Amino acid sequence: MSSIATPAAARAAELRRRGRFRPGDIVLHGLTLLASLAAVSLLVLIAWKITDQARPAIHDFGLRFLTTKTWDPGTRQVFGAAAFLFGTAVTSLGALLIAGPLSIAIALFLTELAPRWIRGPVGALVEMLAAVPSVVVGLWGILVMGPFVADHLEPFLHRTLGFIPLFRGDASIFGLLPAILVLTIMITPIVSSVSRELFIGVPRDLKEGALALGTTRWEMIRGLVFPYARSGIAAALILGLGRAVGEAIAVTQVIGGNVAIHWSLFQPGDTLASRIASQYQGASSAKQVSAIAYLAVILLCFSLVANIGAQAIVRRFAGRHPVAR
Amino acid sequence: MRKLTKLAVLVAAVGALGASASEASTGRTTGTLKGAGSSFVAPLVAQWQANYKSSEIQYNPIGSGGGIAAITSRTVDFGASDAPLSKDQFAACKGCVQIPWALSATAIPYNVPGLNGRLHLNAGVLADIYLGKVTNWNSPRVKALNRKLSLPDLKITPVYRSDNSGTSYNFTDYLAHASAEWKSKIGVGVNANWPAGIGAPKSNGVAAAVSQTKGAVGYVDVAYTLKNHLQFAAIQNKSGKWALPGLRGIKSAAALITKVPANGELSIVNPPKAAKYANAYPISTFTYVILPTKTSSAQELRRFVFWALTNGQQYGPRLLFVPIPKVVLSYSEKTLNKVKS
Repeated sequence: MSSIATPAAARAAELRRRGRFRPGDIVLHGLTLLASLAAVSLLVLIAWKITDQARPAIHDFGLRFLTTKTWDPGTRQVFGAAAFLFGTAVTSLGALLIAGPLSIAIALFLTELAPRWIRGPVGALVEMLAAVPSVVVGLWGILVMGPFVADHLEPFLHRTLGFIPLFRGDASIFGLLPAILVLTIMITPIVSSVSRELFIGVPRDLKEGALALGTTRWEMIRGLVFPYARSGIAAALILGLGRAVGEAIAVTQVIGGNVAIHWSLFQPGDTLASRIASQYQGASSAKQVSAIAYLAVILLCFSLVANIGAQAIVRRFAGRHPVAR
Repeated sequence: MRKLTKLAVLVAAVGALGASASEASTGRTTGTLKGAGSSFVAPLVAQWQANYKSSEIQYNPIGSGGGIAAITSRTVDFGASDAPLSKDQFAACKGCVQIPWALSATAIPYNVPGLNGRLHLNAGVLADIYLGKVTNWNSPRVKALNRKLSLPDLKITPVYRSDNSGTSYNFTDYLAHASAEWKSKIGVGVNANWPAGIGAPKSNGVAAAVSQTKGAVGYVDVAYTLKNHLQFAAIQNKSGKWALPGLRGIKSAAALITKVPANGELSIVNPPKAAKYANAYPISTFTYVILPTKTSSAQELRRFVFWALTNGQQYGPRLLFVPIPKVVLSYSEKTLNKVKS
């Protein structure tokens, strides 16, 4: 055996010894192939099924659907997605705006700043937030967070930032702002735990090297940790965005299910996913069922675009990695 | 990692559809009947489950919309809905019949702090509140109906069901009967293009929204309203009397039915001015069981539903369900015979 120098040569020798028949490898290959095919075909089947259901609505409303603000399952039977596109964009971007910095701060604290004994428990607790079922988060949103938002947070925002149209209007336990806060709670664990893994992945010798050169901790983080993890953080944020866009149940419970576009975050609205969850079952007309499937097609397309965008960002950043070079 | 990210995002996006489409699979055993739907009728079905001996009854109160979806895909033996099936739903269900099997009412709970008595409302004011035209509790329109109350200067927040609901059907049916504007602009249905207010899912969502929002008014089935100790309004009927959603008021409204149409659809909202309906509570409703006309468990289903329509009605009054009138019973029995194996 000692005469074999490289692993490749070792494998070749092994092959020669056992002949061409390798049942284990063939089974492994088959199983993994089957698993990936199953995932891909499931996605294709879902996409095909909802597009098929949406066909009458796509035919009836065409692209006007995207700019129509009305959703009338009553007498007029006119459906449009504009209000839900607006609600989805506002709530998920709002949640990302709060959860992004928050999550990165949590991850930095846990990897760079916290005493060692605190890292494990706090990290585990933050991740446990992700395990809380969305319907429970929603109920908590109505019963605990809602009254706080209506009695304290919104009046406070109105007093201090009322000159911005976003923070005008009557305080309410239902609305875009409660939905943003609920989504923030739901995406923070994901973004922070992914970021934490990224920060842990920054080589220790580089960090110590930077500190040895006399940088402060913040300079080390800004100059080394962030650039090193940049593409990963972008991917983590997109992952959080996807979660926020797709979340239905908790949003339904707190957003106030209203079809409208307005500047104030205190007003009720609705999102694509929330509308699908609340009105798919028992929709009274075939046209409404089809319009809801159309919403699902839009949601699916949006996710695809977001993913392709995320990959483009990741590739771009990865291409000019300042530290790796 | 990147592939996982992609998949996770996609799964999250379609998760909502997937979750609602995946009903429990059939897995039927002899002697068990599975049902799903209306949460309105659920307390009564619970009594039936406890007292019916010939089969085991399983019932999942997922809401009328869910019940219609479940029986349409035949994942249950019977569905239950407070709203009659629409034309499209009848067509999709392929050979279903709907049978009125219980009778109750929708209450109007409200949250107006510091009132020195029960709130009184009528159809016109309720319609205008939900149309967004009456917006303050101290509006002269509300004051005119509540002379003895000191109404506060407080914004009215109407609360509606954001999911598809038989209770919404009952309520919009009532408003459409009372207000021409509601009928032409909004219409009747399990959901609507609500011009004002906030939406919350399910009965418990509406109840929570009303109890947490100062100035809110909503609509929830009467059994749920009582169980959760919500304050509810007295409603003026067409005879001019103030009615509460009690047995007497519901029974009086049900006297409106003298003949049942072929499709079984009944509406007893807002009965006209007459001595017969003097005590009628104007937001009363029948609720339906939906059965497939061709099913392998036809015999057991017929036996159970017949029992529910006859012996089973005795468990109703304690839960504010009024026994169904004779004319409806004879229609229901006749229709039940269409269910064959």
